[in-house]
Amino acid sequence: MAPLQKRAWYGLAIGLVFAIALLLVFMVKGGISTFTEDTGFRVIISVLWVGGLAANLILVNLTLRKPGLVDERDRLIMDRAPRVQWLAVIFSLVAWTITLTEVYWEQGEIPVIFLYLIFMSILIVGTLAQSLGILIGYWRANRYG
Amino acid sequence: MGNARINNRIRRLRFDHDEMTQEELASRVGCTRQTIIALEQGKYVPSIELAFRIARAFGVTLEDVFQYE
Repeated sequence: MAPLQKRAWYGLAIGLVFAIALLLVFMVKGGISTFTEDTGFRVIISVLWVGGLAANLILVNLTLRKPGLVDERDRLIMDRAPRVQWLAVIFSLVAWTITLTEVYWEQGEIPVIFLYLIFMSILIVGTLAQSLGILIGYWRANRYG
Repeated sequence: MGNARINNRIRRLRFDHDEMTQEELASRVGCTRQTIIALEQGKYVPSIELAFRIARAFGVTLEDVFQYE
């Protein structure tokens, strides 16, 4: 397995662990209403998502900076990963838009806190999709050349 | 044009050079072992630069390693 491919697996695993932890904390602590009122809850969520993103960033940067770990084929695969990222981000935004529109249609307004949650979720989805894009790239390269 | 294919003799040349390992060739030309594997399986066409480095590692010309069919 290529070093970048290994790092992408680690990145995906770390991202999923942080994303699941975020969802669990969110559900256990009481959801949107508590999130708006409880500062401690917001700090925990912020630490989790910033921590997850930082861990992923460090992991990818360490791989890219070490000489000999990434070659031209890896870079080609990495350059194609944003296609998957783009699709994942678009689908996430579509899901957010449809869900929020349907849920808050009667009220005619959406709580401001959703701006923060949408931003946070898009960053997480983007990071996860980057790792996924790299892994799909390797799979395609090994299968079809 | 669409059916053109670039073949290579990397595996043959490795064996002709004291059974040079994929790892050794990769380290000499500055790529990963996985790229050498992909090249030998015909699943990757290298850049001109990497192609020249591979030819140089074997001490042969580019055409001795890669053939355009």
